[in-house]
Amino acid sequence: MRASILKQDRFLIASVQGSMTDADLLQLREELAAGVRRHRSTGVVVDVTLLDVMDSFAVRTLRGIAQMIKLLGAECVVVGIQPDVAFAMVQLGLTLEGTMTALDLEDGLDVLHARHGGNAANYE
Amino acid sequence: MRQSDPTVPRRVDVSSLGVDDEITEEELLRRKEFLQFGSDDVANLVEIHNHARRYAKSVIEDFYEHLLSFEETRIFFEDPEVLKRVQNAQEEYFLRLTQGNYDLAYARDRLRIGAIHERIGLPVKAYLGMYNYYLRAVASRLIEAYESEPKRAWSAFLSLLKLKMLDIGLAIDTYISARERTIREQQEAIQELPIPVLPLREGMLLVPMIGLIDSLRARLFTEQLLAAVRDNRAKVVVIDITGVQAVDSKVANHIVQTVEAARLMGATVIIAGISPQIAQTMVTLGIDLGRIATVGDLQRGIEQAEELLGYMVARSRERPAAGR
Repeated sequence: MRASILKQDRFLIASVQGSMTDADLLQLREELAAGVRRHRSTGVVVDVTLLDVMDSFAVRTLRGIAQMIKLLGAECVVVGIQPDVAFAMVQLGLTLEGTMTALDLEDGLDVLHARHGGNAANYE
Repeated sequence: MRQSDPTVPRRVDVSSLGVDDEITEEELLRRKEFLQFGSDDVANLVEIHNHARRYAKSVIEDFYEHLLSFEETRIFFEDPEVLKRVQNAQEEYFLRLTQGNYDLAYARDRLRIGAIHERIGLPVKAYLGMYNYYLRAVASRLIEAYESEPKRAWSAFLSLLKLKMLDIGLAIDTYISARERTIREQQEAIQELPIPVLPLREGMLLVPMIGLIDSLRARLFTEQLLAAVRDNRAKVVVIDITGVQAVDSKVANHIVQTVEAARLMGATVIIAGISPQIAQTMVTLGIDLGRIATVGDLQRGIEQAEELLGYMVARSRERPAAGR
């Protein structure tokens, strides 16, 4: 199943579905890269609330997405990692090093707002 | 610790002592084999029964006189009624020693007696002292009784010694098992103590860790903490480990993993109150806390958490109001 990408103001919100294949994840990466470019977004929230399994490929792809978005001049926050998923990831040594995380969509948007608060005036 | 209070249980509910099932037929047989207690010993003992009947009462009277001359044993027998009852029980036991048929019922009876003595807090040394006194008294009585046959007296005495050793073994086991049960119960009580997760301010959780943290408790702690982070929408968690006496590498790693898992959920964890010993253990074990924020004490931890959350705490008065 493909992830849906919503545009909200200067941010993009990608909702990852419960059943994502590796190909879906790679496609998400491409679409996000294109989306950030097209909309001149300053931040991306990747919401993984619905994911109940996070394998090493998914984690690597997420980290890749975050790094790529950074190279494009925007920031990425991964939100909605569930408690058991979080602990399973840590036990496997998949800690999403260098990637911002937040509890849920709301907090993720707050993080982005806080980091770009100073620029808000330029957009209005 | 149980106080040596002789007024406690007059009559002990034996079924609650939990000793009834602790000895089996095979176990008893093994014990007897180990002591080389055989049928000839039984025969020897039965043979001296008539002598035992004669000397039992006087030995017991002497023995209690001896007991009562010591302060620490006298307190158990201050009530004359108790003394009377105990002496009767003792006499019964002495006579039982030379009646043969040392079966499972006999062994259970010894366990029961041992458990009762443990319950009232009679010290082991007094218990052993009784056996010592008894053996010495009987030895001299036997020598007198078999004056012309010292060999016979000697072999009867040895049989008695074996039986006594069997009894001592059983009685001491009840002492040990009672102690072990106490230790086990205390350990369980400690382990069952839940680790509280306390919301301190909006977005801040305080987790005071206390006592022994083993793997099981650490796992429960992780589940609890991560669920609390989600439910309270916590952004900062302060874990205070001042009350933790020791950590092993497994538990330390578990804490590290919990911290990282919390980070994946968007929460920052601050560890406060690492004691010098734990700090040393962690360094010795090579546990990397590089990515974990640690502070000296809880106060600093809360201050730092407030800073992260953007709280500013200020006094409303120059000086705190005087207590009334």
